[in-house]
Amino acid sequence: MSVESAPAHSFSHTGKFTDVLALAAKNAGLSVATLTLYRFWARTSMRRRLWSRVNVLGDPLEYTGTAWELFRGFLISLPSFFLPAIFVFYIAPLLMDPVLAFWLAAGFYVFAVPLVAAARYWMRRYQLSRTRWRGIRLGLAGSARAFAFASFGWTVLQTLSLGWYTPLARMNRAKMMWENTRFGDQPFEFVDDGQPPQKGLWWPFALGWFALPLAYLVAVLVVVAVAAGLAGTGYEPPRFDEMAPANIMIFSISVVLLMALLMVFFWAPYNAAAMNRIASLITLDGARFKLKARTLSLFAIQLSGWIITILSLGLLAPMAGFLQVRYVINRLEIIGTPRFAEIGQSVVDGPRTGESLGDAFDLDMGVGVI
Amino acid sequence: MRARYADGRAAITRDAECVLGPDAITFTVHDAQHIWPYGDLRRADDGAGAIMLRRAPDTGERLMLDQDAAIELRAAAPTLFTPRAFGVEGPVVVGGLIAAAWSMAAAFLVGVPLAAAPLADIVPPRYRDQLADISWSQVEAFTDYCDDSDEASRVLNDMAYRMMTAANVPAKDDIWIIIVDAPIPNAFALPDNSIVVTDDLIALAEHPDELTGVIAHEIAHIERNHVLKNIIRSVGAGIFFDIVFGGAGTGQAVAIASVNLASLSYSRDDETDADRRGLDYLDAAAIDTGGLARLFDRLAETAGENAENSEFPSLFSTHPATAERAAMARARSRQGLAPSMSEAEWRTVRSTCGVVLDEPETNEAPPKPDAPEGDVKPT
Repeated sequence: MSVESAPAHSFSHTGKFTDVLALAAKNAGLSVATLTLYRFWARTSMRRRLWSRVNVLGDPLEYTGTAWELFRGFLISLPSFFLPAIFVFYIAPLLMDPVLAFWLAAGFYVFAVPLVAAARYWMRRYQLSRTRWRGIRLGLAGSARAFAFASFGWTVLQTLSLGWYTPLARMNRAKMMWENTRFGDQPFEFVDDGQPPQKGLWWPFALGWFALPLAYLVAVLVVVAVAAGLAGTGYEPPRFDEMAPANIMIFSISVVLLMALLMVFFWAPYNAAAMNRIASLITLDGARFKLKARTLSLFAIQLSGWIITILSLGLLAPMAGFLQVRYVINRLEIIGTPRFAEIGQSVVDGPRTGESLGDAFDLDMGVGVI
Repeated sequence: MRARYADGRAAITRDAECVLGPDAITFTVHDAQHIWPYGDLRRADDGAGAIMLRRAPDTGERLMLDQDAAIELRAAAPTLFTPRAFGVEGPVVVGGLIAAAWSMAAAFLVGVPLAAAPLADIVPPRYRDQLADISWSQVEAFTDYCDDSDEASRVLNDMAYRMMTAANVPAKDDIWIIIVDAPIPNAFALPDNSIVVTDDLIALAEHPDELTGVIAHEIAHIERNHVLKNIIRSVGAGIFFDIVFGGAGTGQAVAIASVNLASLSYSRDDETDADRRGLDYLDAAAIDTGGLARLFDRLAETAGENAENSEFPSLFSTHPATAERAAMARARSRQGLAPSMSEAEWRTVRSTCGVVLDEPETNEAPPKPDAPEGDVKPT
């Protein structure tokens, strides 16, 4: 048996930007040529590329899923999801009483909240079951239905609290996911470190929450100032009744884009804190994890992904996923070493039907990452 | 050749000594010999770094070789360096997907419009009324009822009835014209055989034959059942987009744009059909089609159509190019026919909804009009 070496960097991602870009461009071209039918093959090849560049203690991850599995899942989702959806959104408004059709659509949206959560769980279960390290499969046990209903309850609490339950909800979801995650026959644990799980998240969350009106004001002021500067006039508040429709559109898009930029910036501290906190509470056979996500670097990564996605009209969206995966992996450390010799093959069966509703809800956003 | 071996039962690797034979790779781990025929092997890496081999079907075992072993392994087992060994789809799959996607698109382009006509003819009255209610709720959202339009509506309905009788329109007893107050010059038919005419369209018309030409066009839409056919085509397109073209981004946008272009083509065909049929009605009722031609001319000026850009908007429009429609109407114009409405009737129509008050009579050839604001496309 070889002795476990202890590399300086227990996790590393060796993916090169140009290498992934070439694959993303090829996938984008074929997706257009096939009127998006190639998307299952595109996702599979991108995942294979991203997974294989992740090195854990010197050995790469491996993605073993196939495009045909994803395609089969899509075919299964046709009758189970698309037919009811078609009835609700296309047939019912034409043939049923309008009030009844409205409530049917509203009910469908409410039903979609837990359904999206379940789809997310199924998707993660599929992806983990198709991920191996040293030939050992990962997996996700537990019930998607339980996760869906719990997640629905947390969503209700988030809504009722005007968003302030979000840090708790995020930790609850992470706890439920990770406590059901397996590496081989070894479960991950989401430990209680004696502190509330959401410790350290409230101030960054408050910053993001209160930044919303501030970002709007700043965005409007900056756009007006820039427009006035370009027009060579002094500062004047926008007069929509005197503006041409095209100018109103340019003004609105500018405000929305700048506001989105500011929001990504102001939410970056919360996102970085939440990611770090979740990682710190995960253990595998006593080994702990540490993530060093930082506000500015996370903002830069997210901004880069946005810019690439927008400038490529969404065609190169997988690059955003790649940048985030590489960012997280390269900043992740493991403290301690699990007893790998004691970890056997997974006993959790993986699904045979791909990700089904994951495609319907576009949870992957075409990015091909977990 | 040194390698590492994972047995798929524990998350550890063991050192192995490999020999590449002509048909199989043989390796020894702790005195246990393993022989893996090349034909049973697949690549578990993606070809960019260290080589990782697995067996097919997958046993969980992995054999990891340094990248330096690639040259020797390629010489011994070239099949392990083909796209298939990595699980990458071949050109047959890609070609099949392209063929399947465009075949489905073609099936939609041909099948849905073909199915729309017979389906539209068998829609039960109850559902037709339901669709009409929905249409009316949308119409009422951007129009107001004109309190003083009863007399003007009666004039238009009488005129239309005379025209439909002359042209033997079967649905002449079911068609009803309504005038509404709306900020756009337009006229359109609804599923319950109503024809909605906006006050701005009446204001735009400078001669009764111009308005009558538009109404004839709308009657043709009703006679040909274009409204329901269009609804069925639209619903079919929506369902097709949602089911087949999932995902997101530009790929989906391209798919939708492709099918939308075809849908526009069908809409233009309907419009051309309604134009021709409407001109038949006018001819049968001895109404000069030149009025419609003049209205189209004015629209062409309003829309700024010219020789440079006329092809592009025509391609992307639900309607044929206005200049073409004007030419078609002018070609069938007959001089010396009586106006479709009397001076008094036209004055009644023009005075509804506060359109035009105290204007001079214009039963003769209308003067060159000023370019009005807005747009009008009889639909």
